[in-house]
Amino acid sequence: MPTRELPEKSEIVIIGGGIVGVTLAHELARRGEEVTVVEKRFIGSGSTFRCGTGIRQQFNDEANVRVMKRSVELWKKYSEEYGFPFEQTGYLFLLYDEDEIEAFKENIKLQNRLGVPTRLITPEEAKDVVPLLDISEVIAASWNPTDGKADPFHSTTAFALNAEKFGARLVEYTEVKNFIIENGEIKGLKTNRGIIKTSIVVNATNAWAKLINAMAGVPIKIPIEPYKHQAVITQPIRPGTIKPMIISFKYGHAYLTQTSHGGIIGGVGYEEGPTYDLTPSYAFLREVSYYFTKIIPALRELLILRTWAGYYAKTPDNNPVIGRLEEISDYYIAAGFSGHGFMMAPAVAEMVANLITKGKTGLPVEWYDPYRFERGELRSTALQMG
Amino acid sequence: MRPLDLTEKDPSRKVTIYFEGRPLEVYEGEKLAVALLANGIYWLTTSTEGRKKGAFTFGPVPMVVNGVKNIDARKTAVRNGMRVERQRYGEFQEAVEVDEGKPVERLVVDVAIIGSGPAGIGATLEVQENLTVALIEEKSWLGGDMWLKGLPQEGFEGKEPKQVIEELTSKFNDNVRVFLKTTALGVFDEGEYFLVPAVHGERLIEVMTKRVVLATGAVDNILLFENNDMPGVFRRDFALEVMNVWGVAPGRKVAVVGSRPEDVTAELERWGIEYVVVPNPKRVEGEEKVERLIDMNGNVYEIDAVIISDGRRPDINSITQAGGKLRFKRGYYMPVLDEMHRIREGIYVAGSAVSIKPHYANYIEGRLVGAYILREFGYEAQPCVYEERLRNYEPEVMSVHGIPFDVFHLKDVQICGCDVSLEKVDDVVRWGITDLQVIKRLTHLAMGFCQGRYCLFNGAVVVAQRAGIDMSKIDLPAARPPLKNVKMKVMATRG
Repeated sequence: MPTRELPEKSEIVIIGGGIVGVTLAHELARRGEEVTVVEKRFIGSGSTFRCGTGIRQQFNDEANVRVMKRSVELWKKYSEEYGFPFEQTGYLFLLYDEDEIEAFKENIKLQNRLGVPTRLITPEEAKDVVPLLDISEVIAASWNPTDGKADPFHSTTAFALNAEKFGARLVEYTEVKNFIIENGEIKGLKTNRGIIKTSIVVNATNAWAKLINAMAGVPIKIPIEPYKHQAVITQPIRPGTIKPMIISFKYGHAYLTQTSHGGIIGGVGYEEGPTYDLTPSYAFLREVSYYFTKIIPALRELLILRTWAGYYAKTPDNNPVIGRLEEISDYYIAAGFSGHGFMMAPAVAEMVANLITKGKTGLPVEWYDPYRFERGELRSTALQMG
Repeated sequence: MRPLDLTEKDPSRKVTIYFEGRPLEVYEGEKLAVALLANGIYWLTTSTEGRKKGAFTFGPVPMVVNGVKNIDARKTAVRNGMRVERQRYGEFQEAVEVDEGKPVERLVVDVAIIGSGPAGIGATLEVQENLTVALIEEKSWLGGDMWLKGLPQEGFEGKEPKQVIEELTSKFNDNVRVFLKTTALGVFDEGEYFLVPAVHGERLIEVMTKRVVLATGAVDNILLFENNDMPGVFRRDFALEVMNVWGVAPGRKVAVVGSRPEDVTAELERWGIEYVVVPNPKRVEGEEKVERLIDMNGNVYEIDAVIISDGRRPDINSITQAGGKLRFKRGYYMPVLDEMHRIREGIYVAGSAVSIKPHYANYIEGRLVGAYILREFGYEAQPCVYEERLRNYEPEVMSVHGIPFDVFHLKDVQICGCDVSLEKVDDVVRWGITDLQVIKRLTHLAMGFCQGRYCLFNGAVVVAQRAGIDMSKIDLPAARPPLKNVKMKVMATRG
């Protein structure tokens, strides 16, 4: 995708070319809307490419389970249509005590009611799924075979190329500098490459959302802060060795799986911030090694090739901020995904596209209401990994 | 003597190992890859895509040793009765022993010096009277690249390189703690001090230090030609190592390719190894190893090894991991330094990590940063004396080769040791993608075991040549920790 010229005007402008901005552009363009994405670096250059690949429906509240059920349908549909890999290899939560089991039984009940086929399985069944697992301390596991993983690069690129096919314009190396607003109405955006006239803007910049909100003069409190989270990758091993995403809250809120290239990828709950710093730390290297080798001892003999850092754009309740702001017409926000934005993107794209084109959506977007912080109505905390 | 022995080895160390069931004569203490080479065995492992691989150019060398998979043949010493087999990349050991791990060793020093080439030695000697030093060296010898040479070096005339190194390092005093076979994993800013974690065997060492000297040296260029990754292709440094450290020939008749053949031909002559210089290699071929080389003019050379001697460029990974910036000058990427040879406060760079010049100049540069550090600690020092002497050595200019894309069968030319062909990279660049960050993710260039040390530069050359972008405008991705591969169990140690 060579850098396109900045168009003079566009009906809708999405700020941010990560997975959320790109899937939204794809959804809008597919419906025949005129849409432009402006990305300050290259498509997918932010947290999208630093992300851990996981896609799950195992959440602990109705809204997130419903949204993720829809999202997985869309992941399946588009991976088949566009030929990028999305594998339904499942998510396996390892449980180590009765309290954990009780909490997960509640989650599973909710998930089952909403059509997500999660089951509580025995340690032996978990070991059938991942033979390298150490189950000596595991007493049960929460298993949903319809969860999965996708390659962030390949999927973002596929959505971007197809968005362009439907007429969306993706403009890279273009940084938004300010808004042009008259009487509370958006007239355009100032960028480092000139002005683009528009009346509808979506802030899909996640970790940078507060900067865009400030440019737009958003008058309400939307607390989204960047936190440094890190990830590791090992030397590649035989593909198919670790199929699902494995989660262990006991061992450092660890998540790990195998990439299509063969490396073991993952992270732990080690968090620093709020910060825009992305320097990988030594402490993480120690933590992740300790926890991973507890979960799968065979990892002890594998070489660590690299660690890196990315942002979780976090809100106080770990739920994103998705919706339309009343004070500035027409300003939308889809940001603050708190570590699980990649998996949500296709469904969020559908929700926001519906909001823009129809003013409403069938999915429970009100759970992600931008005004909830102002009103003091925080949601129950969304289940977060890493 | 074994087929490729250059010297008589100590008979008391003679033992037997078994390669694919076949008994072989080896000598205790030899590296597995060298012991196999001495017996004429080049092909040691097979890549994911089925490419045969040796140990002396880029790419990892996992082998099965005594039934245990994924053992590094470059780092493992032979033992009597050892059973060795080939494997494929990706095969790993499923059943492992779990122990508590060795306790972490911690020490506090004034200066941590990473790399013991002439620059690291110079810095150590300069500061040792007044400051405590941890000198960290990955190899099993001190002296860096100079230890690989057999012939006297400029500035140290009249003496063999090994003798020079031995004389210099024999002066180390009690303030100096030398860590051989110890790999530094990076430099981490902990505010009050820098943390330099390092690995010796399975032991983790945490060096807490006030100042750091990156004397991390340069890496050899990988020349691009068809099948440049096959067994029997030697990087200059590996060729010199097998001859001058281990007394084993790379082959009986070798071809020398690259723009700096003189860096190895004199050494080949010293050992009486027959060679031919081929300035324009196109392709090497052979069943299990190199048997012939074909040049751009269609000339065919029957040889049994190829040595790439194409000059060196600073190893930029340690620079960027520690927070340094780069600039492109004289044909290579080098650290941006302040007037005191620092990439940032507290972190100094010396030697061929700064620029390419003779060993003696690197030694002087080591003394120079040592003098700056002494001065920072309030001691008398004369950095200007070293500065003046260093001025006599204008850093070398490396030519950047044009890649003959039209002539090569691009699929056979390997740009990275982990199954990344020139074709893969070229395809992506031709789609219009010129950001190396994206190229990395699309092709896995610089995402393998060497973390880009041997491939990122050539990746930048492809971008420059195909997209017409000036090398100085290309943004190289920064290295991420760990600087060198480390087994997870070493880092998993608690305490």
